[in-house]
Parts: sequence; structure tokens; C-alpha cells
Amino acid sequence: MKKLFALVISLALVLVSVSAFAATPVANTDLAYKGTLTLMHFSTSEESEGNGGSDGFRTTIANWQAAHPDITLEQDVLANAEYKTTIATRAAANDLPDVFLLQGMNTISWAQGGLVLDLTDIIAKSPYYADYNTAYFTPFTTEGKIYGYPVLTGGTCTVVIYDKAMWKEAGFDSFPTTWADVEKASEYFEGKGIDTIAFGNGGKWQMNSDFISTLGNRYTGPEWFSSLIAKSGAAFTDEAFVKALTETKRLFTETKIFNDDFNTVTNEDAREYFISGDAAAMIGGNWDEAYIWQTLKDTNEEKFNNMGFAVLPQPADATFAPDSQNIGLGYAIAINPKVAEDADKLAAAIDLAQELTGPAFSSYVAENYALGGLTAAGDVDFSKFDPITVAFYNWSYVDTTTCEIYDSYISSAVWDVFNTDVQSMLNGELTPEQVAENAQAAYVANY
Amino acid sequence: MLQAIKPKKSIVWLYLLIPVALFIFSVFVPLLTALYFSFFEWKSGQTIYTAFFNGLTNYKALIADSIFWKSFWNNIYLVIACIVGQIGIAFVLVLFANSKLAVGKAVHRTFGFFPSTISAVCIGLIWSIIFHSKYGLLNWFVVNVLGGTKQTWLGDSAHVMLYVSIPLIWQYIGYYMVILFSAIAGIDQQIFESAEIDGANGFQTAIHITLPMIRSTVLVCLTLCIAGNMKAFDSIWTMTAGGPGYSSYVMALYGYTVSFQQSNLGYGSAISIGIFVLSLAVIGGSQWIVKRATRGLED
Repeated sequence: MKKLFALVISLALVLVSVSAFAATPVANTDLAYKGTLTLMHFSTSEESEGNGGSDGFRTTIANWQAAHPDITLEQDVLANAEYKTTIATRAAANDLPDVFLLQGMNTISWAQGGLVLDLTDIIAKSPYYADYNTAYFTPFTTEGKIYGYPVLTGGTCTVVIYDKAMWKEAGFDSFPTTWADVEKASEYFEGKGIDTIAFGNGGKWQMNSDFISTLGNRYTGPEWFSSLIAKSGAAFTDEAFVKALTETKRLFTETKIFNDDFNTVTNEDAREYFISGDAAAMIGGNWDEAYIWQTLKDTNEEKFNNMGFAVLPQPADATFAPDSQNIGLGYAIAINPKVAEDADKLAAAIDLAQELTGPAFSSYVAENYALGGLTAAGDVDFSKFDPITVAFYNWSYVDTTTCEIYDSYISSAVWDVFNTDVQSMLNGELTPEQVAENAQAAYVANY
Repeated sequence: MLQAIKPKKSIVWLYLLIPVALFIFSVFVPLLTALYFSFFEWKSGQTIYTAFFNGLTNYKALIADSIFWKSFWNNIYLVIACIVGQIGIAFVLVLFANSKLAVGKAVHRTFGFFPSTISAVCIGLIWSIIFHSKYGLLNWFVVNVLGGTKQTWLGDSAHVMLYVSIPLIWQYIGYYMVILFSAIAGIDQQIFESAEIDGANGFQTAIHITLPMIRSTVLVCLTLCIAGNMKAFDSIWTMTAGGPGYSSYVMALYGYTVSFQQSNLGYGSAISIGIFVLSLAVIGGSQWIVKRATRGLED
């Protein structure tokens, strides 16, 4: 009797968990391969807490493993920063795992080096191809060939998260749409001893990913960056881009909008300034939004309900897309060309890649986090989500126009120089023109 | 008798085999490999098999690389700050702890040594919190005790090297204290007593007796200090990542950035060889200077 009771309870728990987590199960494809498949990624268990993309990725891996017990999936899971270093080192040693995550900016050089398998025909035959958002393939495409399945969730890299109540007190019913208005607000907030907008560029990459990538688009328009990627004439030294750098310098060094220590603290600090009320807004990426959402939900319901989202305000002399924000999938699942030597193993690797980016993943993140990935998940039932999650979903995918994330393209050798020089520029040691010239020199030498 | 317990040469070599092999594998092989690949172009997308020989190109670039030389001078700054800060303060503290008035010598030694057992990354994190402009201990002191205004310590390009030197100095004072303690313990106490009878004060005793008699140990400390600071990396990486801009870049940090963030392993190897050569030159040069400067004292 006890055993029967335990069985009934177990079955009930399984049913509850299945209904709660996986609306679309992983396809139980019949795979001939029986052996080991190595997978390297950065969705650590810590990362997956509160991060829908990582949680969905780990859950789908577990479900795929359960569906294919004859295949041993050997996972090497590192935190993102360590992952980037390790995967680049293993690429240099020609020792990549079977399946791994390819960063957009490495696509061209790794494809030229024969380090990633050409997946163009394979992706075209995917059973989920009709539901793919094909725009996400762009960073992983070179010379008409696709080298990866864009993975995780499409999240913005530049969102202004603000406290509606604080801005209402300052006289703004919604977040200002121009920097001129933000400057006016900064006089009010300065009087209160509060930073108007918190930002953290201590890691150097934040100013690029979370600010200039979008602000640059407002000055140059999308064609300029497309041309830069394609090496068809655009240059960092072009007037429009230098104007974007000049405006960035002005905003950070000549106004009272940002926290004084923006160049030494990180985005993690900046979001704490916002959470603690030391700043009325912060600029960061979707990962910052996820952290703030989780923290305020647990600790400060009033502030949680006052969370608002906005695009970067428009500079006075910018002429393009005032409602744009940079969004995309920065990584794609790539396959080591050596895997193709064993047709069965390749079929297993393809199946894994397809499932990790297919409906099993996208329905999970849509239903649990209101997030989208490569594959469309159909209509999302918003009734079970809190209004802040719905607002962020609409802001990310419906109400704004999109632009490219700069460092999903080109080369780390270029961005490393650019990011460091921008930090120097914002410390008053370089001019926008010098930053542009150095970046152009690195671009010519390395891309 | 001695011959009876002395092991055969073959046994000695057998015992040495594993540690020597490990040493060669972990020190000489990487060094020779770096030297080899420093003559190659080995960038992102190229593998160890497709990297190609480019002669002295990397070294020509290195000589003209202003960031590398800025990093080198930052290392020299660090070396000088740490020789004065680490060995100098350690020497003074050892003298105080060794005086007749000092109590709890073992406690000083033990607690002084503590920071050098902490990982450099943790030291970096601890001092990042101390230097933090909004919530840091230092700004709290400046504002509430000194009545000053908050500073963005690690954002000050002009003085950031001083600020990143402080944790390094703090960490290793105890390490050099332990070495100097043991060296001073080896000096015959009768010499100090004679000096005292002759009317020598503490400063004179330190300069004319203690320092010359532990000259060899000080030389070892200098070598360790220079070598340690020529390869400084971890705590600086944790505190500033070399910033603002390149203000707190040191050579190892630049080598790491070029090799692993810019994926330029060929040039990164050339930087590693540059660090090795310059470190040898600085260590050798400093030993030569110290030997010449203290020749009179020895006599």
C-alpha cells in the first residue's frame, strides 16, 4: 500500500513538473550513435538562477540526455568570461569539443580557419526551419554560409531601467526621450543627492555593448555598420561615428547625468545603485534586468511595481531610429568539423543543436520567462506573468526597433582596443578622433 | 661512515628524476615553446598547425609597441614601490619586533604573515571594496573623519599605480618579515650587546650592523620582490583590469590580454619573451647595483 501510494505521488510530481516546465517535449529522434558527445557551454547552475535562457538551455540538455540514454553527453561548463578564454585557447590548439557555443565575432576567422562546420544545408533541412527567426543567423553567416544555430534568448543589450515613482517626482510621467530632458532631470536628482542614471564601465566592454552600440546606430544608421562588417567602405573614422563618440564623451564627462565612478564600477555595481535607490535609473542589458527583477520581486514590492523600461534618449543631432535598441543572439551552437567524420555522431550533434534551439527550448523560455529564442514559440499566454515581465517582453520584442550588437561581429582584437580607448577617452586622456583612429588601425590590422 | 650512508649516484638521480622532469616541463618547455611561437603569426582562426613563421615581425612590433613599454614602466614603478614598501617596512617592523621592549614577537610574525597566505584575487576584491567610491572604507574615512570629499580612487589615471601597489605591499610585508626575522636571529647577540655598550643607537645598529650582516638575505629578498612584481597580474586584474584605459597595465596583464582576449598568441608569446628578458635584466642589474653599493659594508 505504501509503495502504491509512493508511486502515485511520484507520478503526480512528475506530471506536475512536466506540465510546469516543458510545454513541448524534446523530440525523441531515433539516433544510431552510441558513444560520447562533448559539449562546452557557459550556462552554469548559478547563471541559470533567474536567467531564463540559461535555465531553458540546461533543462533542454537534461531532457535531451534523458531521451538519448545511449549517448554520454560530457559537458564542460564554465562561467562566461572563462568560457570565452578557454574556447579561444582550445580553438588555437585545434582541440575544440564536438559541440560548443560560437561567439558571433569569431565566425569569420574561425570559419576561415576550418574550425566550425558549415551548417547551411543542414539548417535548411531542420524540421523547425519554418519557425526560425532567420535574422538571428546574421552574425553567424559569412560568405553566404551559416556556421551555427543561434542559441539562448534574444535579449537586449541596452535598456534604460528606471523607477517610475522617482521620475514622476522629478516631473516626468515617463522616461525622457531626449538627453536634453535627462539633463534637466539631473539637476533635480543632484539636489536630492541621487545619481540620475547609474552605469558601470569598469569591465570596459559595457560602454560598447550597453551604450555605444545603440547610440552609434542613432548617428550612423544600420547601413554604416553593415558596411563595416562587410569591409565595403565604412570606417570608424567616419564623421557620423566620431559624432557618436563625441556625444558619448559629452554625456559622461560634461553633464551630471551619470555616477562619478562609472569608469571604475561594473554593471553589477550600477544595478545595486538602482536597487538601493542611490540612482533613479540604470543602463544595462537583459541580464541586469533579470537580476533587478528577481531582487526587487523578493525584497521591495513597491519598487518592483515601479520598474519601467525605456530606450536610450535621442541626442539632439542624431538622425536615425530614436526608438532603437540593440538586441540579438550573441552565441550560436557550432559543430566541430571533425565530428563529420562519423555520420552517426554528426546526426547526434545536429539533433542536439536543433533541440537546444528548437521548440522544446523556446516554449520553455516563453512559458516560464516570456522570452524568445531562435524558434518561434507561438502565442505567449501572458495571463500568468506579472505586469513587469509583460512590459519588458513588449518593450524587447514589440514596441521598439532593433539594431545590431557591435561586438557580435568583427573581431575581439578590434573591440579590445576600442573598449580600452573609450575608457581612456571618458577619463579625459584621448579625443573621440584618436579613439576612432586607433580602432580603425586595429580594424585594418586584424579584420 | 659517511660513505656508508651516502646513496649511490644512480639513486640520487632517480630521486631527482620526477621533480626535475616536472620543473623542466612546467618552466623550460613553456618558455622554449613561447620562444618558438614568438616567431609565428598565430591569430584568431589559426591553429597551432596553421600558424605561420613570420620571422622577427612580432619583435619589431614589440619594440615599437607603446602599450608594452608603458606596461614595463608600470612594472618598474611597482618594483620600486614594493622594494620600499614590502622589504623596507618589513625591515623596520622586524627591528621593532626584535627590540627588547616588544612583546608577543611570535604573534607579530604569525599575524604579519597572514595576508601573504590569501589568494591575490581575494586581496584584489578586498581592496576593491576598500577603494569603492560609494561604499568603500577609505571614502568613509575621508568623509567622516577627515571631512574631505569622496574620491574615485581607482579611476584616477595619474595615481592608480600607487593605489594598486598598496594591496601588494600590504600582502607581502609579513612574508619578508619572516625571512628577515630568521636572518636577524642568526646574528650573534654579543655583537648587538657590544654596540650597545659602545653607545650605538637603534638606527646606527640597524644601518652599520644588522643590514651588512644580513646583506645576502636582503639580496634574496630583493630578487624575490623584483621577480614577483615583474610578473604581477592577479590583484591588478581584479581591481582595475588595467584601467582606466591602459593606466594600470603591467606586462603580464598586457600579455594575457593580447594572447587570450585578442586571440593573438604569436604576439602574446613575443610579449612573454619580452617579459622574461626584461625581468632578467632588471634582476641582474639590481643585483649588480646592490653588490657594488654594499661592497664597502661587507668589508
